Amino acid sequence: MNKTISLIKTELNITFGLTALKHSFKQKKNRWTVVLISIALLSLIPSYFMLVKGLGGLYDGFRQIGQQSYFLMLGFLVSQMAVLVFGLLYVMSKFYFSNDIVHLVPLPIKPSQIVGSKFASLMVSEYITSLPLILPFVIIYGTKGYMGFSYWLYSFIAVLTLPLVPLVIASILIMAFMKYTNIRGKKDLIRTISAIMFIIFVVYFQLMINRITARGIADGENFLFNLARDANLLVNTFGRMWPPGMWGTFALVNHTSISGLINLVLFIGVGVLGLMLMIYLSERIFFDGLIGNTDQSSSKGKEHNKDSSKSINVNKPYIALAKKELIMLFKTPIYLMNSIGGVIIVPIIMAMSLFTGGEDMAPLRAIISQSKNYVVLGGIGFIAVMGILNSIGVTTFSREGNNFWIQRIIPITPRDQIIGRVLASLAVQLLAAVFIVGSIFFIASISVFDVLLIVLIGIFASIPMTMMGMTIDILRPMRNWTNPQQAMKQNLNVLIGLAVGALYVGGIGYLVYKVISRLSIGIIYGGLIGVLLLTSIVLYMILDKLIFTQFQELE
Amino acid sequence: MLKLEGISKSYGKSKVKAVNDVNLEVKSGEIFGFLGPNGAGKTTTIKMIVGLLKPDEGKVFVDGVNVWEEPLKSKEKISYVPDNPEIYDRLKGIEYLNFIADMYGIEKDKRKEKIEYYSKLFNIENALWDIISSYSHGMKQKLVLTSALLNDPQLFILDEPMVGLDPKSSFNLKEIMRHMCDQGKTVFFSTHVMEVAEKLCDRIAIINNGRIIALGTMEELRSSAKEKESLENIFLELTEDE
Ligand SMILES: Nc1ncnc2c1ncn2[C@@H]1O[C@H](COP(=O)(O)OP(=O)(O)OP(=O)(O)O)[C@@H](O)[C@H]1O
Ligand SMILES: [Mg+2]
Repeated sequence: MNKTISLIKTELNITFGLTALKHSFKQKKNRWTVVLISIALLSLIPSYFMLVKGLGGLYDGFRQIGQQSYFLMLGFLVSQMAVLVFGLLYVMSKFYFSNDIVHLVPLPIKPSQIVGSKFASLMVSEYITSLPLILPFVIIYGTKGYMGFSYWLYSFIAVLTLPLVPLVIASILIMAFMKYTNIRGKKDLIRTISAIMFIIFVVYFQLMINRITARGIADGENFLFNLARDANLLVNTFGRMWPPGMWGTFALVNHTSISGLINLVLFIGVGVLGLMLMIYLSERIFFDGLIGNTDQSSSKGKEHNKDSSKSINVNKPYIALAKKELIMLFKTPIYLMNSIGGVIIVPIIMAMSLFTGGEDMAPLRAIISQSKNYVVLGGIGFIAVMGILNSIGVTTFSREGNNFWIQRIIPITPRDQIIGRVLASLAVQLLAAVFIVGSIFFIASISVFDVLLIVLIGIFASIPMTMMGMTIDILRPMRNWTNPQQAMKQNLNVLIGLAVGALYVGGIGYLVYKVISRLSIGIIYGGLIGVLLLTSIVLYMILDKLIFTQFQELE
Repeated sequence: MLKLEGISKSYGKSKVKAVNDVNLEVKSGEIFGFLGPNGAGKTTTIKMIVGLLKPDEGKVFVDGVNVWEEPLKSKEKISYVPDNPEIYDRLKGIEYLNFIADMYGIEKDKRKEKIEYYSKLFNIENALWDIISSYSHGMKQKLVLTSALLNDPQLFILDEPMVGLDPKSSFNLKEIMRHMCDQGKTVFFSTHVMEVAEKLCDRIAIINNGRIIALGTMEELRSSAKEKESLENIFLELTEDE
């Protein structure tokens, strides 16, 4: 038992502890994730408040049809389902993909102790999901219905135990899944799929809110009543299929009578029993599903369909380098998520928050509708910013890491180094351009010519942006990392690049803003191209020298 | 072919010279063995030859080209196999070989022939379509060896090449080295295996504490030492501390 407690303590400390917090702060860790998640969360906050406001109305709607209890059940259903969905992802990464598993497994501890401690820390994580969902329901029901002390006591207990059952189910499902399916060796694939699922969830949530708001405007006064009526039906159907939600609901609704107590005991008891079953099962099946440290499958001795003349292709050195860069970017999940995922997600989220952001975004929308030139210039600026935000140029030498020696012994000119690495970044920028133009279509109507302007000048602007990053990176490449995450997420160069890039784009943007009313737009585009070209040439000359000397000087 | 003129190197701010005023000349067609205890300065010297570590003092010439003044020209003549084969592990073996071949501008037919020949010789031809992270240490080493042989180097430099190779592969590697010398190419390698050095090398240098303490053919080394039987005894005698 002592072992379990010590494990739980460590686990909690690792996940939420001060040490970890301090560490990740110092390490500038997860910068990209923080940026992305905060953008995502910020875009959700207005929607969330609207939602909570709407919930109050929904309660009234339910009361009109005399079914307040279903309001609570809706809350339980939604929260527990969310816990289940996130639970599947959390369990997968905590139980099977976390770095400490390799260290824990050889220790003289039982699988159930590992699983138990990880489960405990997951419970805490799940509160972050469940509390924002269930609390509004419970509080609205309690305050609007003038509930007494026992209601609040029961709610407190029920809210705390709410994640238990779905998380137990998620754990059992994942453990069985890992044991009986052969996905070992596809760790990268699973990570990518989970990330995509998360994005889809966020996007879906946004769209759902949009639809409800749109209906709200259409239905006018009757909206909440209609909604309550529809929801009532839904809750009725699903509630039967998900008894824990029902028990939780009736525990709170009947808190004054013995039936409430029975339901509360059921609600907690089933959770605890489930937990015990899960721990028992873990003893049997947890280790079977563990993926070894090396996560790549190899096809030893298998005959390949290897027509070597097909797989042997001759390229110019810079093309070969660009190809190598792109393969590494696509095949390393961290890079894939940050660089390529980044240029896809950021535009989508930006467009969506502009599109759905309510009154706060009104001034911006006004500017957009006011002049098409602002849209085109904004699009170009956005692509340019992505040119540094994609982190490809600014980590290009850092990413070489232990393999840096290869670059230094091959007879490749600095010129080819520059062209190859810039090309790799531009390939990703093309993707960024597609998604940025796509997002612009959502908020403003633009012509084919405008699209061409945005894409061409935007891609052109990405050249100096990438070279700016490369200049920073070659001056202080971070080469002795052990985990690719460090090369991109814990690399100070990324921050420096962001600052320099923002200054550059901001500076040019300010200049354009100053002269836009006085000069014709053609001259402005011409000047812009001139400035970008000049910057590129200067940076090229600097890089040419720097790469030569740094490749010699580094130890 | 290879000429070191008084090269010295100390790491960081340390005053101790890891390599101290080393002078060497290796002729074309020679297999040259570089011996010395751990930490003697072998890897440091080799890195200064291949362009990975800039000497504090001294010059390195490969075929008359100053390595540190015209790096591209010299790199085209050299191939280097490090002691620790860290390579792009997200690429497939074949992709890595293609990448290296592109860097040396090797034509398609020659490239194909070399890849097929050496991958078969080292018995990794079936692994070429696998991702490198699935390779064993020795397989990675063989891939690096293959990639280093693609460009028919004038000067082949290897840092402890036999470590981690299975007997057949290290036999093959020795054959390759001999064959290269027959063609007038030069091989320079460090090793801890005395028999290999004794049997394979035309000349040998022993380095200790950053200085060359013995240099010559086996015969010359024998005549200058008290213990005459084997290279092992000579080595132990010479590198003994006072
Ligand atoms: N990166 C480094 N930083 C500081 N000192 C180093 C570094 N690499 C090597 N040294 C020092 O330089 C000296 C020579 O090391 P070197 O690696 O050249 O030895 P070696 O002859 O290759 O040894 P081994 O047989 O163990 O490979 C040693 O004293 C070592 O401590
Ligand atoms: Mg060494």
